Amino acid sequence: MAAHTRGIESWSPGRLARVVSMLFVAAIFLVPIAGFVAMAFRSNDGVENGSGGFLGLGDIAWSNVRYSWSQVNGFGPDGGLFTRWMTNSLIVAAGGAILAVVAALPAGYAMARLRFRARRAVLLITLVTMVMPNTVLVIPLFLEVNAVGAVGQLWPVALIMGFFPFGVYLSYIHYLITMPKELVEAARLDGLGEVSVFWWIGLRISKQVVVLVAFFAFVANWTNFFLPLALLSSNQRNQTVSIGLQQLIGASPLFNPTVAAGLDVKLYMPQLALATFISMLPLLAVFLGAQRFLIRGETVGAVKG
Amino acid sequence: MTTATVDKRSTSVPVPKPQRSRAKASRSSETRGAWLLLSPYVVLLLIGGIVPVGYAIKTALEKPPTPLDPSTGFGGVASFKTVFTDYRFVDTFQNVLATLVIWLPIMMVGIVGLALLIHASPGRFGSAMRFVYYIPGALAGIANFVLWVYLLNPGQSPIEGFWHAIGVDTIKQAVAAPGQLPFILTAMMFFQGVGSWIVVVNGGLNGIPDDIFEAAALDGANAWQLAWHVKLPIIRPWIGYAALMNLAYGFQLFLEPQLLDQVASNALPDQWTPTQLGYAFAFSNYNFPAAAAMSLILLVITLGIGLLIVFRSGLFGEEDN
Repeated sequence: MAAHTRGIESWSPGRLARVVSMLFVAAIFLVPIAGFVAMAFRSNDGVENGSGGFLGLGDIAWSNVRYSWSQVNGFGPDGGLFTRWMTNSLIVAAGGAILAVVAALPAGYAMARLRFRARRAVLLITLVTMVMPNTVLVIPLFLEVNAVGAVGQLWPVALIMGFFPFGVYLSYIHYLITMPKELVEAARLDGLGEVSVFWWIGLRISKQVVVLVAFFAFVANWTNFFLPLALLSSNQRNQTVSIGLQQLIGASPLFNPTVAAGLDVKLYMPQLALATFISMLPLLAVFLGAQRFLIRGETVGAVKG
Repeated sequence: MTTATVDKRSTSVPVPKPQRSRAKASRSSETRGAWLLLSPYVVLLLIGGIVPVGYAIKTALEKPPTPLDPSTGFGGVASFKTVFTDYRFVDTFQNVLATLVIWLPIMMVGIVGLALLIHASPGRFGSAMRFVYYIPGALAGIANFVLWVYLLNPGQSPIEGFWHAIGVDTIKQAVAAPGQLPFILTAMMFFQGVGSWIVVVNGGLNGIPDDIFEAAALDGANAWQLAWHVKLPIIRPWIGYAALMNLAYGFQLFLEPQLLDQVASNALPDQWTPTQLGYAFAFSNYNFPAAAAMSLILLVITLGIGLLIVFRSGLFGEEDN
């Protein structure tokens, strides 16, 4: 809003139109989100009666959250399923992100700074798999995991999530920029082997890229829906929160009265919104943790949103 | 500092014959080192990419077991025939195209228009707006879906008045009216996706050197002419990249139509997109060869788009810097 300080004389019609239309779009984006977050703090009765005024903000109370949480986490044969799903998501998302970092850093370094015959081929495969939507491989991945009899278990999901070509690309760009060829050659002449050069020099300067790869991998893994749906649907206790939310929707009296009638818990819109809100908190946490590095690496990270 | 001294040392070494064999030796140790460093990634690439594709090809060429003939074995292209002649096959692609025809132009105009507006607003207002546009992108996948259930369900929607004005009283009516789905999917995907692409295109705009704008200003260009004749042509590669990435994204549509069907009391076609059809082959019919064939068809399409992106966008080939 710096324009305000410069006084009214610089407000040409074009400028006014630009600022107004940008604020209008911002409102279209923000109002639904504000209403949705407010929904997580509202009561079923308040929503039913339409009380609470604008976006139901007047209906917000902490006691509503406590009630809604008891319903959300009461879901399942013995309750507590939602907590279990959150834990599962943490396991596969963090496990997959750690694998992605461990694999991406040395691979990105090798592609950036070592000459070997298959280099261009590996780079091409990485780029193509990076830009393709990852859902096209889910059915083949299911067939593979089914063949080894591991459907319904968490470890294959984390392992598959470890394959993160975007992370390899980020590392590749990182080492192209931060590690000059001359540095590698100097280290070689000092008697270091190729792996040692990476280990003693490459890893020293990789804090930035470790955070970036881990962040993007964690977010992609946490929000992944189709892979856990195909691999984990058969085992209710081993599901992730992304497909768990789908189950909660399916058990809501709003959309499926017959199923909901047989349940102890009642999942109306405030409960669904609260479950969604809680499922987003880990993403918020990693975003705040990685923020400093994201801004610095914006140009690199912007290649794939 | 060490670099400089070592450089001097290395250049002062004469270049006799033995250098070649040493170069050869260093070359092979370089190759060995490279593969050693690549090995964790290659293992994951095999598990997460190569092996499943190979196994899908093998599975697609088998014949599905039936109650009468429970054996599996080589079935040739029969599973591809099953897929191509399925009554839903053509429809699913038509649905995706119908969605893309509406969604892609809106998406591209939105991305480019908002990125240009942000670029024309230097200072804190521009970057604050860029951040605001990015926020919905954080609500990826299922979270975005639940948000849209909140918006689409007239019972408690903040745009309740709008729904009642067009005569919609239930979420089923909102979603399942004929021809409505492509528009709803457009709204959902635009809301979720536009922000991160604005950041990408804005990054491209920020990379334009200032003297180009100064030269244009000297020629008397106003803000509109600047955007239309100067900025737009320069960021064309980014626009093409965004368009192709979003095109490929259209072919993976699954979550939204699948779950909209669930909240609309199954009033939508159960298999509306190709990915849903492949999922149904695997998990409703247990016809794994047909499911594998369907995913290979989608793989070929998206692979084609992917290769186009990689070779046209300059991602590949800038490695020698």
